[in-house]
Amino acid sequence: MRIKIVKFCMGLFFVILFIGLLYMQLIKNVTFSELSRKNSIRLLSQYGARGRILDRKGNILADNRLTYDVLLVPQDKELTDNILMVLSKILGKNFAELKTVFQRGYVASSLPVVIAKNIDTQKAIALEELKFNLPGIIIRQHPLRSYPYGKLACHVLGYLDEIDHWRLTRLTDYGYKTKDIVGFGGIEERYDYYLRQQEGGSIFEVDSHGRTRRILGFKLPKNGKDITLTLDIDIQKIAEDVLNGRKGCIVVMQPYTGEILAMASSPNFDPNIFVRKLDTVKEILNASEAPLVNRAISSSYPAGSIFKLIVATAALEISKISLSTNFFCLGHMDIGKQRFACWDTHHQENLIQAITHSCNVFFYKTGLALGPQEIYNYALKFGLSRKTSVDLPYETEGFVPSVLWKRLYKMRNWFDGDTANLAIGQGELLVTPLQLTCMMAVFANGGVLPKPFIVKMIDRKEIRYPQNKNIHLGIRQKTIDSIRQGLLQVVKDPTGTAHLLSELPVSVAGKTGTAQVKNDQPHAWFVFFLPFKEPKFVGCVFLENGGSGQFSCMLAKQMIERMLQEGLL
Amino acid sequence: MRGYILRILVIALLICTVGIISIYSSTFQKEARLWHLAYRRQIFWVLLGILVFIGLSNLNYRRLWDMAYLLYIFGLCLLLLVFILGVVRLGAQRWLRLAWFNFQPSEAIKLIMIIFLARYFSRRSTQSISSNAFQGGVFRSLLIPFLFTALPVGLIVEQPDLGSGLMLIFIFIVILFLAPVRLKYLVIFFLMVLISLPLLWHFLRDYQKERLLVFLNPDIDPLGAGYTVIQSKIAIGSGGIFGKGWLSGTQGQLHFLPEAHTDFIFASFAEEWGLFGCSIVLLLYYLLIKQGISIALRTNEQFGRLLAFGITLMLATQVFINIAMTLGFAPVVGLPLPLMSYGGSSVLTTFMDLGILANIYKTRGVF
Repeated sequence: MRIKIVKFCMGLFFVILFIGLLYMQLIKNVTFSELSRKNSIRLLSQYGARGRILDRKGNILADNRLTYDVLLVPQDKELTDNILMVLSKILGKNFAELKTVFQRGYVASSLPVVIAKNIDTQKAIALEELKFNLPGIIIRQHPLRSYPYGKLACHVLGYLDEIDHWRLTRLTDYGYKTKDIVGFGGIEERYDYYLRQQEGGSIFEVDSHGRTRRILGFKLPKNGKDITLTLDIDIQKIAEDVLNGRKGCIVVMQPYTGEILAMASSPNFDPNIFVRKLDTVKEILNASEAPLVNRAISSSYPAGSIFKLIVATAALEISKISLSTNFFCLGHMDIGKQRFACWDTHHQENLIQAITHSCNVFFYKTGLALGPQEIYNYALKFGLSRKTSVDLPYETEGFVPSVLWKRLYKMRNWFDGDTANLAIGQGELLVTPLQLTCMMAVFANGGVLPKPFIVKMIDRKEIRYPQNKNIHLGIRQKTIDSIRQGLLQVVKDPTGTAHLLSELPVSVAGKTGTAQVKNDQPHAWFVFFLPFKEPKFVGCVFLENGGSGQFSCMLAKQMIERMLQEGLL
Repeated sequence: MRGYILRILVIALLICTVGIISIYSSTFQKEARLWHLAYRRQIFWVLLGILVFIGLSNLNYRRLWDMAYLLYIFGLCLLLLVFILGVVRLGAQRWLRLAWFNFQPSEAIKLIMIIFLARYFSRRSTQSISSNAFQGGVFRSLLIPFLFTALPVGLIVEQPDLGSGLMLIFIFIVILFLAPVRLKYLVIFFLMVLISLPLLWHFLRDYQKERLLVFLNPDIDPLGAGYTVIQSKIAIGSGGIFGKGWLSGTQGQLHFLPEAHTDFIFASFAEEWGLFGCSIVLLLYYLLIKQGISIALRTNEQFGRLLAFGITLMLATQVFINIAMTLGFAPVVGLPLPLMSYGGSSVLTTFMDLGILANIYKTRGVF
């Protein structure tokens, strides 16, 4: 019985389908053939606006500017020519030129062809008025990205361009298609999913003259979601002014929460040129200074003397040295057959003095006492050799060498000389400026390694970052206080390496670094926090091949001075 | 004895050929170079499918009895993996990206569910064939199997793949019906479903709700499903009796019809080959289904019988829903047309289905 029912149902299925086909293909054939032959159904897509990007105070960093496109609905050849004639007069373009644009842009008779993009408002109004005499002309609003501040924060923002093959293969599952405009680099890329608009449009029937007969349906395009950053545009501006085109970067961060207040990288670029498709795009893409690279996160450098702070912390934590430990600096130290130099002769030094003067010999000896494994462990503890997982794309993790690594990949043994090199942040060690900023934040906030972030709100809704992302490192308060003392002395002490900052009315603590580079100027580092007592900012000034750390100090001083002037502290 | 198996294979290959011809026609004018070679890949899948068919038709289907629960767990793991990857990648995902192609587990889970339910509802021994009504209370015959079905359905709908989820429910009902479970329980189940429908509505994603609404009124989404259905109807309707001829369909080729080579392949075929071609394809599908039902009827053993029925009815329903969808009779749910639509997962699993069917025929009566 039941089987009979099933068999009957199966039979019924096919009968229904067959009747359906008969109905469609025999009875309704004339109607549908007519629709198909005339292709009288037209499809016009409409664009929503991409989500805006704002700074923490609500200044708009990435906005949309309304432009107008002229489209022509394909129709009779003669009619098309006539209309193109009129258009060429109004738009001030060659008729033959417009014709080739039309022919090239033609995909199917249902899709209007874009004749001109980005025409100015007067022309758009003029065309809109002529619409009755020019059947088939459509003026479409088209919001285009604009960056009102130009180059400001360009690395954080990123830019927009047509989707490339690589991204397309990764994103097709998410509804991206060829010729979509997507973000490249920065927030535009990382949060493209939220920022992107959703196309809408209308479907309508036209008569033989291309006039709209009736609208069959309409779907509103959807705007993208706004994103609010933690950036403070005023600090960002000061940072970029101070950098003034020098190769390098400046990061300013909130030491307790990890909010990034400024991230400037230089040389920079104007993201607007990608929207306008200017010829300078090629220059930017091929420039040897790599202006598209965000130097704060996407490239790594030797840390130089800044790394000594990690060595000092490790040595105090596992009691290899104490505050009263003294080493004698002769200006150099012999390890094996090699002579390792100090930049000066410091004589008797304890830890605080060694940090103040950035004495190499003290740290060679401390490093040797610690051994490479402990240094490695503590470097990892401070977040080196690992992405900070800031919400920006293309972050690099840097590198911390270890005994095992050298054995495996270099097939060589680890020597004491390697330890000495590592202890002063030279050798194979590579860090990003953001990593060092986070490291300094540990000393600023008293022992917590923050997870930096730059997006505060999406669509006006505060993002909740998991609190446990900020790692409590479990370093003894005494150790932190000692290092902080050293950092303060770097500025306060007349012989300190960053003494020039002592003129400022606010007490700054920090550490300079001069990282040696083969066959080139050294990299200049200065990582700092202020005010000393209750730190509100932690920052890093980095100059690629910028010479001695002193230069970075000078920039930091200029920056803090201007922040004071503008009342940002 | 070989006759049946050969017939199934020949019919399947004929349908595949029609499919490949239509895929060629509907992709050869697309500007994206990604699609130019779609028909070649489809040929590759079909060839692979034949191998799978031959392999499975020689593997005693009783082995599936042994593996049923293992397969079920495996299927669930695949779905979970897709789910987890989807979460990691911030959005919808139906695919598992294997080394060289995207695998869609929801295709395979349909077959696995049939095997699982067929085993669940068949007894270990074959003593009383005459009264093969399924014995058991409401728990054993309704609730427990329902829970086992609801788990993968939930995961699939979450993916989100509404069509496949509904297919699983349908398979469940068919097997319940044929097991045969007491009519009383079936009525209870229907009432349960009816009552929970408004509740389920809340669990659907916005776009899934939208799709169902679009089915009721295609005008509300003119650019998406509504547009597809309008164009699909125009394509089929304008085909007429003999069609416009191969490579001359305008709807399918000129971007009017989205997904002309996957879910809506029947529309682009209908446009070019007309009522004449469509009738032949319908006939081929009918013959295929008929073979399946005869095989099921000739099998005395409960597991094989349920398995054969399950597979056949699932294929029939997919064909029905897909074609009804192109005709505008059913909502656009994203089910491929077995053997014709472009896609490796669908082609391979369909050949698996047919291979198992062939083996049931071969082994029947041998205990």
